[in-house]
Amino acid sequence: MHNAKRIKRYLEIIPGAISWGIIIVLILLSIFKPVACAISIIVFDFYWIIRTIYLSTLLVLAHRKLFKEKNKDWLSECQGLDVKKDWSKLYHLIIFPVYKEGIGVLRPSLEALRNSRYPKEKMIVVVAFEERYAHAQANARILETEFKTSFFGYLSTFHPDKAPGETRTKGANATWAAKQAREFLDRKAIAYEDVIISCFDADTCVDREYFGCLTYHFLTQPKPHQASYQPMPVYNNNIWHAPSFARIVEISASFCQMIDSMRLEKFVTFSSHSMSFKTLVEIDYWPVDMVSDDSVIYWKAFLFYKGDYRVVPLYITVSMDVAYSSNLFKTIALQYRQKRRWAWGIENFPFLINGFSHNKDIPLLIKARRSFQLLESHIMWAIWAVIVILIGPLPILLGGAFFNQMAIGYNLPRITGLLFNFTLATSLAFIILSRAILPPRPKDVSWFKNIVMLVEWIIVPVIILILGSTPALDAQTRLMLAKYIEFNPTEKGRKVV
Amino acid sequence: MSGEQKIRAFLFYLGVLIFFIGLRFILPSALGYKFNMRTFRFTKAGLIALKTQPQGASIYLNEVLLNEKTPATINELLPGEYNLKLELENHYPWSAQVSVEAGKVSRLEKIILFPIRPNIKQLNKEKISSFWLDKEKDKVYYISQEEQTLYKSDLEGNDFVVAGTLAQMRPLPIKWKISPDKEKLLSFNPHQIVVVNLRSSHKPYLTESPLVLDVANHKITDIFWHSDSYHLILVTDSNIEVQEATLQSVPVNLVNLNKKSISASYDENKDILYFIDNQKAADGKFYDNLFKLELGTKFSFIKPRANEP
Repeated sequence: MHNAKRIKRYLEIIPGAISWGIIIVLILLSIFKPVACAISIIVFDFYWIIRTIYLSTLLVLAHRKLFKEKNKDWLSECQGLDVKKDWSKLYHLIIFPVYKEGIGVLRPSLEALRNSRYPKEKMIVVVAFEERYAHAQANARILETEFKTSFFGYLSTFHPDKAPGETRTKGANATWAAKQAREFLDRKAIAYEDVIISCFDADTCVDREYFGCLTYHFLTQPKPHQASYQPMPVYNNNIWHAPSFARIVEISASFCQMIDSMRLEKFVTFSSHSMSFKTLVEIDYWPVDMVSDDSVIYWKAFLFYKGDYRVVPLYITVSMDVAYSSNLFKTIALQYRQKRRWAWGIENFPFLINGFSHNKDIPLLIKARRSFQLLESHIMWAIWAVIVILIGPLPILLGGAFFNQMAIGYNLPRITGLLFNFTLATSLAFIILSRAILPPRPKDVSWFKNIVMLVEWIIVPVIILILGSTPALDAQTRLMLAKYIEFNPTEKGRKVV
Repeated sequence: MSGEQKIRAFLFYLGVLIFFIGLRFILPSALGYKFNMRTFRFTKAGLIALKTQPQGASIYLNEVLLNEKTPATINELLPGEYNLKLELENHYPWSAQVSVEAGKVSRLEKIILFPIRPNIKQLNKEKISSFWLDKEKDKVYYISQEEQTLYKSDLEGNDFVVAGTLAQMRPLPIKWKISPDKEKLLSFNPHQIVVVNLRSSHKPYLTESPLVLDVANHKITDIFWHSDSYHLILVTDSNIEVQEATLQSVPVNLVNLNKKSISASYDENKDILYFIDNQKAADGKFYDNLFKLELGTKFSFIKPRANEP
């Protein structure tokens, strides 16, 4: 095996090995050294309580900011900027990488663009189809008929299947589309530094003020080309119609993103986001062989700019679909696969370490800190629910009579129970905050659904059990065993009203 | 740094501080240590875990009334002996000398506080000589030998009614036994078996009730119900035989016994009869042995005993 490949394999093994190592060591400790295991669990539980309080506070702060900036007239803000910061010369290039998503999903996304409060003559839309999808051409024709004249530019691109060096990923399609758009910009003689590119999931419906907000932040940043711009993803498109299980999972995902937006030093792009087109070209577009293109693009830019690259949070929402299916079990499976794909972001770890090893300009401290942050967040994701729910009771069950007559044996279930109850109590804050980001109730939805949406939070323990750690542990195990996953777009169950 | 980031940094460092300071107290406390406010040191202590039935008892530790009531955990106790007393109104107090060891929990979690005036209540409304409980159906059956009547009521003694008439037996029955399906009652004396049908509609086994079966040749010492609630296993002074609970039944001799009076036990779930009988050994002497006789519907015949006819 080539040396670089061997090192990459070792790096792929590390996250899974650490997560499984922690779990196995704790299980063995619970059998042979139950007191040591109990101490470890109590320390972890206490850490988790403090972490939960800390993160919940950040969530409240992020919410506060989101509401402070809600309904702000961002275009007026742009117009009020210094003349040197001429917003009118900027173009917005919006790419929708599409695979099997139908017209019913794409049309609202394009309509949202058309309805946005930003000049359409400054917008170039690219709907990036996969050539291998049988209905791609037909869908493209329908959408072109409806939207082609609405924007300054409108392109339908068709990404050829199995291009050399590519895997079937969203990044490969987006890169193909960006290159086509680049030719369009060249033809129109538009400078790359005057273009902001937004790569949106097919179901992304932007807020009316999104492009004004993005433009304002782009123009007011010290190094605007050395930043990605991350809106707050909410899953409001079909949230009133989605089943409770899926709704809570997606609301929690929005919350995670909002919390991360407050932790700027570890904030990484996720899902739909925007950046300078000039930067995108310079860093050679999205990766064409990695599933988690949305976060890898950040790391590529981070390495390219020698660590001087950041993500600017935009406290404005982009709305997507809650992923759900025809019945509960299919919905759980769907959600599980989606979360596993997100957890597959751990593939960034070997990429980042490899990038750091070839980059002598980034200070070692930054390298160590960013590597640790990436690794720690994924490992915590993979083990926290396992420790809280499964390993917590093990010393009592496996520790034998001697452990059970120890004071710590008596106190352990009380402390772990307290932690679990505390974690549930934070759901109260989540309930209140979730109401705040909820769109108005559609007319076809009964008022009673308001009650359901309050009561449904009692299923949080079930969700923690199913989706707490297992998708992340699954993803890390697959990476460890070189059982790579391919990008499969999540089925969206939107009810078109 | 923006206002939010300042708040965030403050919260982060505050969290780190609370984690390390809090851990300094939580871990020793979990391990059973007690913090001495005077010396600012931890001393290894133990605890007592208390659970009572019923709950809510007052706790006296070394004659001092504690604020808590059961169930409770008395923490941070220095190792040693403690006088523990639990009191609950209208219940007998409970007390004990409890030993507390460092780092350990003394679990007293099965304490029952008995009421001072137990709720004693007479259930029968007529003279009775025996009874049995049908817990599945929440019924009590009463036997009045004097009046040869079977009564029944619920578990509170309500709905006390006549459930059937018993046959005349002379001498009086030795034992009463209810069938596994709880629908028949048998009583027997050494030469007579009476089976009473507790369900008037019971068909097809018992066509008349009570059913009286005479056993003239042997002296019955015990009878067991087969799990089908239809066959009876009779242990007599000379053999073990099985017969149906019908008038037409012809007994089948299963085992001849050497002993006149044997002790036997019947496993109703597996239909196995265990009994002791003596048997001649190689030295010509007789010794007691325990035998197992399978009587289930799936018979797997065991090896016959030596000298068995």
